[in-house]
Amino acid sequence: MKRVVTLLLALVLSLSLTGLACAQGTLRIGMTASDIPYTGGQTDNGFEGFRFVGYQIYEPLIAWDLTRGDRLAPLVPGLAESWEVRKDQPTKWVFKLRKGVTFHDGSPFNADAVVFSYESIKKKDAPHFDPYGSGQVSFRLASLTGVHKIDDYTVEFETNKPTSFVPYQVCYMLIVSPAQWQKVKDWRKFAEQPSGTGPYKVTRFVPRERLELEANKQYWDSKRRPKMDKLVLLPMPEPTTRLAALRSGQVDWIEVPPPDSIPQLKGAGFQISMNSYPHNWTHTLRLDKEPWSNKLVRKAANYAVDRVGICKSLLNDTCIPATGVVYKGHPWFGKPKEIYEYNPEKAKALLKQAGFDASKHPVKAVHLISTSGSGQMLPLAMNELIQKNLKDVGIDVDLQPVEWNTLLTRWRAGFKTADNEGLNAWNISWNFLEPWSGFGRFFHSKAVVPVAVNTMPYINPEADKLIDEAERTFDVPKQNEILARLHELVVDDAPWIFVVHDQNPRALSPKVKGFVQPQSWFVDLTAVTVR
Amino acid sequence: MWTYAGRRLLLAIPTLLGASIIVFAMVHLAPGDPIAAVMPAESSQAEIEATKKAYGFDKPLAVQYLVWLGRVAQGDLGRSIATRRAVILDVRDSLANSLVLALSSSLLAFGIGTALGLLAAFRQGRWLDKAASAIAVIGVSVPHYWAGIILIIVFSVWLNWLPAMGAADGGGPLAYLRHMTLPTVALALIPLGVITRVVRSAALDVLNQEFVLALRAKGLAARRVFTHVVKNSAPQIFTVLGLQFGFQLGGSVLVEAVFSWPGTGYLLNLAIFQRDIPVLQGVILVLATFFVLLNLAVDLLQTLVDPRIARH
Amino acid sequence: MAVVTALPHDAEPIAHAPMSYWRAVGWRLARDPATLVAGAVLVCIVLAALLAPWLAPYDPSAGSIRLRLAPVGAPGHVLGTDEQGRDMLSRLLWGGRMTLVAGLTPVLVALALGTVLGVLAGYVGGLTNTLVMRTMDVFYAFPAVLLAIAISGALGPGLPNTLLSLSIVFVPRVVRVAESATVQVKGLEYIAAARASGSGVLPIMRHHLLANVLGPILVFASTQVSLCIILAAGLSFLGLGVTPPAAEWGLMLNTLRQSIYVNAIVPALPGVAIFVTSMAFNLLSDGLRDAMEIRA
Repeated sequence: MKRVVTLLLALVLSLSLTGLACAQGTLRIGMTASDIPYTGGQTDNGFEGFRFVGYQIYEPLIAWDLTRGDRLAPLVPGLAESWEVRKDQPTKWVFKLRKGVTFHDGSPFNADAVVFSYESIKKKDAPHFDPYGSGQVSFRLASLTGVHKIDDYTVEFETNKPTSFVPYQVCYMLIVSPAQWQKVKDWRKFAEQPSGTGPYKVTRFVPRERLELEANKQYWDSKRRPKMDKLVLLPMPEPTTRLAALRSGQVDWIEVPPPDSIPQLKGAGFQISMNSYPHNWTHTLRLDKEPWSNKLVRKAANYAVDRVGICKSLLNDTCIPATGVVYKGHPWFGKPKEIYEYNPEKAKALLKQAGFDASKHPVKAVHLISTSGSGQMLPLAMNELIQKNLKDVGIDVDLQPVEWNTLLTRWRAGFKTADNEGLNAWNISWNFLEPWSGFGRFFHSKAVVPVAVNTMPYINPEADKLIDEAERTFDVPKQNEILARLHELVVDDAPWIFVVHDQNPRALSPKVKGFVQPQSWFVDLTAVTVR
Repeated sequence: MWTYAGRRLLLAIPTLLGASIIVFAMVHLAPGDPIAAVMPAESSQAEIEATKKAYGFDKPLAVQYLVWLGRVAQGDLGRSIATRRAVILDVRDSLANSLVLALSSSLLAFGIGTALGLLAAFRQGRWLDKAASAIAVIGVSVPHYWAGIILIIVFSVWLNWLPAMGAADGGGPLAYLRHMTLPTVALALIPLGVITRVVRSAALDVLNQEFVLALRAKGLAARRVFTHVVKNSAPQIFTVLGLQFGFQLGGSVLVEAVFSWPGTGYLLNLAIFQRDIPVLQGVILVLATFFVLLNLAVDLLQTLVDPRIARH
Repeated sequence: MAVVTALPHDAEPIAHAPMSYWRAVGWRLARDPATLVAGAVLVCIVLAALLAPWLAPYDPSAGSIRLRLAPVGAPGHVLGTDEQGRDMLSRLLWGGRMTLVAGLTPVLVALALGTVLGVLAGYVGGLTNTLVMRTMDVFYAFPAVLLAIAISGALGPGLPNTLLSLSIVFVPRVVRVAESATVQVKGLEYIAAARASGSGVLPIMRHHLLANVLGPILVFASTQVSLCIILAAGLSFLGLGVTPPAAEWGLMLNTLRQSIYVNAIVPALPGVAIFVTSMAFNLLSDGLRDAMEIRA
């Protein structure tokens, strides 16, 4: 008997020791996505897909500088060395491409690759059109109407109108290897053996489980050659699972740790990294149908939500309350008339004014929410609290949770599909990295589904005018002023329930060094080391 | 006996067909357009037409079913909406992981359960019997998903001995073993309770047979009585083991969800939240087929061991 | 994962008068401390759930986010508060209602529907029997958990769908037991004789249905309650059952999971509640089975 016990003990010990041997210069990340983001170029799963898959394997012509944490991340040259709008024809933009860059498969990057990538997104009848990838990204490139090659290292983009937003759209177009696609001639197969120019290349792809990448030793920018050898991405939609995986040493980095665990994590020597970034967490309301078609009801909902409670108590200071699309202090904030604080009495009064009554004629709505996802923070707990807040003033919201990517797919299709007809809102977090993402795609009457994602739809001629004006304005301070006026308008119309701005908390093991959290949705992993 | 086996085999066919009808119906059970249930939202019109043709959505339901069954018979379970991979590949990969877990937890439960059950039977009424019975009741009563969470807290987070999630893909056999330990324990709880009970009562039956009582009264060596008991209760115990193995395969959804173990249960759970109906169908069809065949095998083996059953 | 029930093939059918039989059952039950304790615990749980509106110190859906995750024994909150700051005791009381409804209804539905179908199939025999039993076999082709999750998954979350999917799981099980018991009773010699003489079949059948068919069915059904409670809570745990903000033990377990590192006791409470209830049902059904001398 004794021998058996000794043997068992030895077994357990040896089993636990093997855990220490692995992980040398390997960074293992627990993501919030429930599946590996699409690796075939134009990635999915929202910006988490861009963060860990899109911008690591591939590169855009214009990239984000993510090396600093003390300012909003600016755009810098990526695969293009320079770009400018043609003075004679303001709908044409000339891009000079970087020379000497090769894809992971060894083929050269050139103007053909840019045209090929563009066509895979925009040209529906091209043999290399990627319907899935196109669905993910084409709404981000809404102004682009064409591209053609001038010479091997110069391309010219064409837009539907003169617009200053072009660089902000081009930065989402990831350049894929035409040579690799020609080899497999199928986007599904391409996604299993992808080829881009980014600092990491895929070595192993296990659907739903893990994506393994290794450093691209030939990366063109010697300053950004990865310091670690390997990057492993693991989908972990459940926050508790991420936390347990971090604490038991199975991963070195997790996105969005459960806020409750942050003090303990700090106490145990883990690093908690946070920074503000252009993020808002909202309920985007359906405006062509009761109850949210009524502006008073929308305002009431905005006064009913206890944002401070959410940030201080529920989320342990990992977010700040949102009273608009952008936060106070942002150049686009302006001076909105309505400052939405927690004021249930005012909410009740507004509802009464709108003709609703908590007992006889309550407001009823169905909101589609996600169970997890990029920028979604802790959707279930937060929504349960919001549901309670709204209920307190007489608004009954039925929450329908679905998987994150499913929510995105349904959202892009708009409210008017068979699946979505019964819905009154979706809870999705947005970015306002640039004017188009922040305002244009939501608040312009020309941006309704399927052109872009004004799903509500928000139709306001004044907003159209301001967006068009901002788009025509190439001078940034002037553009900011116009956008601030637009923001005042939107906040007063309350087409969303504004809730919070995330601080993007992530927890890192003490072994992870050299990471700077930028004021952005994306990260630069090239300077990170794991000891 | 052979006629019994033949009859049993024949009976399995309508059962399987019935199960396939239920699985087929899931596309139509799901709210919304059936085409939306089996295709990604951004599919092109050409792809939609091709799928409509492949599924025969324009034809009557009976024809659709036959078309679908024909494809299933060739191993074509459709394509996953989420990964756009052939469902059969996804199911195949995850089935291996689930089989491992079902097998390991069944064996663990079998080993401990048999030992406890026999001990309890030989010490009937004594404290050991009571303890074994208590363990058995606890085993069948504990919500195993909750037990899984507790195991993670204790062994992964507090003690940091064993990993909390996943299946050490690519980490070698030892890493795989470490990863499967906690889910195995959580999954073994219910069969442990069941097997302990069955073994105890089977062994008691044999012990209470008159000739055994006589043998014991005559002072026959305890070892021989023990051998006799084991031999005579073995068929029943193995039957239960076989059935439990089947239950484990289908019952692991919750445990796999807690431990993110990449098996069929985890796949099923993901498929449900991604509304990936083809994967949902594939997992259930494969598991049901497996389950029916397993029950059949257990039945036939039982007949082989104890031909009296066939007469029943 | 079910408690495997061997049907009472070789159990001696009970031939004596029902009154004395039930009296004997009662006598045996009264001498079984484990069953008595389990029964008492169950009575408490059921009463607590029934009286939740009067017993609960707070509204189960009201609470202050600023008072979240208070530990057990906090002033004003005996069992602490949950991740939204709601009183745990109140939520456990109200949650018990939901869990018991979700755990008992499917078994009751199965008991009613399954008994009718099973007795019908067993008594009429022939084509009816084949039709009913082969249909039930189809549902037996799926492991219980899988079937419940698959149906709920296809239908979508919500209490009605949970009840429906769990009923589909349990009906075939009861049908099998009912059919087999009926066939046995039908085969008894004196019933055959009574049938032959053409007199008094029904009274005899009624009597034997009560003692020899209903008994095993009831005992079997009682073994299934614990499984059904675990499954119902499991569905909610996966997000397929009862939807927030309703209080239900499985759902509470799920939503409190994230706080388990802050306060390990409060999040464990719903699990304990499921465990104790399910164990009490198991012990009670064991005792009932022993007292009724039905082999299982």
